[in-house]
Amino acid sequence: MKHGLVMDNIRKWVPFLVLLVLVLFFAAVNPHFLSLRNFARIAVSSSPALMVAVGATFVILMGSIDLSMEGTVAVCAVVFAMLLNRLGGSLAHMGWLAIPGAMIAGGVLGAVNGLIHVRLRIPSFMASLSMGFVGVGLSLLMTGGNRILIGDPLFRSLLTVRIMSFPLMAYAALGGLLVAWFIQGRTTIGRNFYAIGGGEDLARASGLNVGRVRVIGFVLAGVFFALGAVLAVARLGIAETETGTGFMFLSITSVVVGGTALAGGSGGVWNTLVGVLIVNVIGNGMVVVGLPDYLQDGVLGLLVITAVYLSMDRRGLSFAR
Amino acid sequence: MSFIKQYIEQQTINRRNLLLLSAYGLGGMAAAASFRPGFARAAGQDPKIAWSYRDRTNPYWNSIVSGGEGFVESLGLPKSALLNLINGGSSEKSLSDIKALLSRYGSGVALAADPNDMPNCRPVVEAVVGAGAYVSTIWNKTDDLHPWDFGDHYVSHMTWSDVGPSEQTARILFDAMGGKGGVVHLGGIASNNPAIERLAGLKNALKSYPNVELLAVQAADWDTQKANQVMSGFLTRYGDAIKGVHCASDTMAYGVIEALRAEGIENMPVVSYDGNPQAVDLVAQGKILATVFTNPYWGGGITAALAYYAATGFFKPSAEPKEHREFYGPTVLITTKDARDFKAKYIDSNPKYDWKDFWGLSKGQIQYRS
Repeated sequence: MKHGLVMDNIRKWVPFLVLLVLVLFFAAVNPHFLSLRNFARIAVSSSPALMVAVGATFVILMGSIDLSMEGTVAVCAVVFAMLLNRLGGSLAHMGWLAIPGAMIAGGVLGAVNGLIHVRLRIPSFMASLSMGFVGVGLSLLMTGGNRILIGDPLFRSLLTVRIMSFPLMAYAALGGLLVAWFIQGRTTIGRNFYAIGGGEDLARASGLNVGRVRVIGFVLAGVFFALGAVLAVARLGIAETETGTGFMFLSITSVVVGGTALAGGSGGVWNTLVGVLIVNVIGNGMVVVGLPDYLQDGVLGLLVITAVYLSMDRRGLSFAR
Repeated sequence: MSFIKQYIEQQTINRRNLLLLSAYGLGGMAAAASFRPGFARAAGQDPKIAWSYRDRTNPYWNSIVSGGEGFVESLGLPKSALLNLINGGSSEKSLSDIKALLSRYGSGVALAADPNDMPNCRPVVEAVVGAGAYVSTIWNKTDDLHPWDFGDHYVSHMTWSDVGPSEQTARILFDAMGGKGGVVHLGGIASNNPAIERLAGLKNALKSYPNVELLAVQAADWDTQKANQVMSGFLTRYGDAIKGVHCASDTMAYGVIEALRAEGIENMPVVSYDGNPQAVDLVAQGKILATVFTNPYWGGGITAALAYYAATGFFKPSAEPKEHREFYGPTVLITTKDARDFKAKYIDSNPKYDWKDFWGLSKGQIQYRS
């Protein structure tokens, strides 16, 4: 038994070790990788992804899955940009209201998502995937296929202003992560996510309103998707339907690589941070070491499989689900 | 046991009757079908106009479809008269949607289509020709497939040659770099023909600039976010050695410019391709030195117009020369000097095109490299 406990402790740190090994490997091939400026570049590409992945973490902790992020991020980005431009075009005046506006939009989409899943008893996989398509369609309807530009220097300072070499958006994402950590560890709802993921029947038998918790989980995820959308707009200064593209693979992969179990009940937002960093370090590192681009997608896939193999505890699984 | 025998006998007779009746029915249908050409001519008077394309999220395809709508409006019809067949990047969906359209309207269809990938063009064309309808295609077609092999029903194919214009943008870039230093190229999806041609253009230009070094070529899949990440990777790898950026599309150039802005680099020479409105603005501001406009609005309108006017009998495709059946679409180089004029002419308003002037903007017959 003692041996098992030791193994568990090691396994907990495996994602972090994977990250460390990757950093050392890329640094050995190209020493430029190990510079503060490059870390800042990785931080810029990780920040929006971190918020989206944190949102997905809550849902995955419950043993459900949310695949609506591409649509939700697109809608929230467009809602944010439209509100900001309508309210004077600058955060300095009324424009800051666009941020809560986008969060409300994300929350509403999440609520619809959760209610469809719980009330209509449609598996979360299908419900959220379909809602993602609805979101993409909705954002297309709102923009008419056009791009909305955000020029507000105050808002763009998230990218352009740096404190200790890192752009403001990295700190904003870190702030979001701390809030998520608080929700996960210090609130009833956060503990309930683990309870449902660990054993839904037990949670139900203990008198927990499982349906309600699930809907709240999806709402929370939607709000974090909205934060991701705002940071994605901050990164490029553009809001469009394609703002959401790629976030599904990026966030789900990050959550799993970070060591959160897809079956629910174990893992958390710090795992997700490590997972997001692993995926973005791979993405950045492959360009930095000059891997031919026809190999990059394949290598990314292999590295993800390796990372998941090392970090997941599969003893309890009779077969892979 | 006689009732059993009787029953079996009845059933056998019934089966024979059924077979006979079926044969009669099939024969009747075949006979009716042989009279269909008359019906087809009647339907050709007012054909349904349809555009089959990927989706509208991309500004390029958005302009293509706007052009199709512009053409439909020129006929005095509402925009909604244009049927949109959205394939979402799937060749299978493209073909099945077109087949569904054909089974609904038969020969009374004027279809404009990008078949999504080259092998899909033949089944699309064969389905349309088989139904007696009319089709014009753009972009994707295999080299062995020609409109003139299908009589009147495969009206035309248009594509764009990007090698020459891409070489021009590269030369503008190299001149801005003072004819020396390192350059990086961000390409489209590696297997896409435009991506291959635009890189070929860059390489042609490199031959006359011996002091310019191509540091790296990397596919960023036409995607703004991926281009942003690739460019920041390039900055880590090459740092100050990068003196210029050659992008295969405007959408990727936006990502590059933002990656540079994040580092506080404002004057890096960048060139792109496609001539999207936002890129033209950036050219006017000098943030992009040059882009190439392929007039997707006109392309979307004229492709629908060709199929439509062939279907109504306004012109007879088989009587036209080969350069009117397979031709290159227009390309216009936009530089910092003419960006403002260009914007006023093409972007703030769409020029009124004569949709019966099918080949006015064409750049000649398609040439095949053997």
